[in-house]
Amino acid sequence: MNTFVMALRGLYGVWLREITRATRDRAQLIGGISRPLIWLLILGVGLNPYFRGEVYGEVRYVIPYTYLQFLFPAVIVLNIMYTSIQFAVSVIWDREFGFLREVLVSPMPRWLILLGKVLGGATVAMLHGGLVLILARFADVTLSLEQTAVALVLMFVLAFGLTSFGVILAARVRSFEGFGVFSNTVILPLYFTSSSVFPLDPALTRAQQAVTYPEWLVFLVQINPITYAVDALRGVLINFNQFPPLWGPLVIVAMAVVFFIIALIDFNRQ
Amino acid sequence: MTSPLPEAPQGPLPAIAISVEKLSAAYGGRTVLDEVTLQIPRGTSFALLGPNGAGKTTLLNILSTLRRPDGGSASVAGADVVRQQTLARRSLGVVFQDSSLDDRLSAWENLEFHGLVYGMAPKLRRERSAAVLALVELEDWRDDIVRSFSGGMRRRLEIARALLHEPQILFLDEPTVGLDAQTRLRIWRYLDEMRRERQLTVLTTTHYIEEVESADTVCIIDHGRIIAEGSPEVLKSRHGSRWLHVVPRDQAALDAIRAQRPDAQLLGQHGLALPADDGAMTDAFLTAFRDRLTEVRFQDPTLESVFLSLTGRQLRDRADGDRDAERAAGRRGGRR
Repeated sequence: MNTFVMALRGLYGVWLREITRATRDRAQLIGGISRPLIWLLILGVGLNPYFRGEVYGEVRYVIPYTYLQFLFPAVIVLNIMYTSIQFAVSVIWDREFGFLREVLVSPMPRWLILLGKVLGGATVAMLHGGLVLILARFADVTLSLEQTAVALVLMFVLAFGLTSFGVILAARVRSFEGFGVFSNTVILPLYFTSSSVFPLDPALTRAQQAVTYPEWLVFLVQINPITYAVDALRGVLINFNQFPPLWGPLVIVAMAVVFFIIALIDFNRQ
Repeated sequence: MTSPLPEAPQGPLPAIAISVEKLSAAYGGRTVLDEVTLQIPRGTSFALLGPNGAGKTTLLNILSTLRRPDGGSASVAGADVVRQQTLARRSLGVVFQDSSLDDRLSAWENLEFHGLVYGMAPKLRRERSAAVLALVELEDWRDDIVRSFSGGMRRRLEIARALLHEPQILFLDEPTVGLDAQTRLRIWRYLDEMRRERQLTVLTTTHYIEEVESADTVCIIDHGRIIAEGSPEVLKSRHGSRWLHVVPRDQAALDAIRAQRPDAQLLGQHGLALPADDGAMTDAFLTAFRDRLTEVRFQDPTLESVFLSLTGRQLRDRADGDRDAERAAGRRGGRR
């Protein structure tokens, strides 16, 4: 019993440190706020009219959503991706500036240290995703309390998986500078091929039904796990799924489990 | 389920705090520790003395479970550092050579983190944190972010943190670099008190002679091997010798002395040190070179001379100074 309480205290300590550090990192917070604003206000509003309707002839909508509504869940995922994967910087920081040793000589087992760190990073990332939810009204998405709660749970598990992914990257990257470049080459392609900014089926109206995307693009979208994370959040927030509704949550949980295990193997090897 | 944090062993504590048996370590083929064997009794202060690169930090890393030995075994507070890591860590407080503080947290938050990670209860955490902050006289800075601290303040906070959970054994790796004399004295006095009252064992590594004069046992280590061990007095009487330090008037005089006395060792840029245990030889030398010296001084046995006579080298050669400066620069550059 006593040892369990002690382990919980340690876990709380590691978690709390991540939260405290995140609240002092203004740059990260500014990014977390400005990113959804740019995507929704500029891209979302700008492309909104082109997403539906026809310039000539009769308008028949196949999916009853505006582009802003369609984009909204994807921007949440984007915000979580950035914050989670940038979390790797905190891991590199600990390693390079010696703080890691302070934890490694403590009686906390390594898996518990890593769990605390990832939980901390995931909490921060989920909150950054939550910032986007504040814009829901603006994107014409009406949310019930229940929807919000389910969305937050999905967002947390997704953030947990992506934060673990960040730790895996950190184990393979030596410098901060290298990581900056690296993270952008990872995040943006994953985001764009997750059916985030366009639906997989381009036929929004009857006149467009003859059009299809090239196979390679569809293939990329289908093998990208982020696709299913975006789909899960769309299911909850705007009640629209492009895939069977259970796939999304399943992929999110699978990412969390697999990435955490790999991260743990890496962390134990250090 | 195995409990993640085993409790400290019950019953009387072992009389030997640290036991090292034929410990070896190598970095990429280069031997850093060569079958080192040590026994450190509880409640004593033990100093590892040696130049940079002698293997001191590697030994400490193995003892604090950060690195696995390549041969031999070691235990701290009765716990094997490979097989019983958690138990071993529980009894240790470690002050690393380079800062391991989180410089985005305040002094208090750093202590709070340490207390939580060591599983301390809230009330105990608060009491101990306040006590150790007072010890290193940082109460007025408790809510300041560590990034704004000077090197000496960081050092003090780090020592305070290592003492927070009341460890049985304290490791201090080059502990007092950057500390003023007053603080150093205060911390050593506190550690002495802890040794008497709580049987705290202190293991220090250093290449500063001044720091080891008060240690119970000094262990001189060079090239990964222990070359002498004993109390400072014993070491001095056994290995130390009287030296004659002279400064020759010019290069010609220096060369002449070295030609006549091959046992003379260079001392700095212009000086020479000669063994002076043999009175007759010393008298003969002084008579011969009286007019060609600008400075003559007898040096009683010091640990410095013990090191010199055991290794044929000065403890703090110039390369060491360079490396220290380099490391300090690295630290400054690394700070964002």
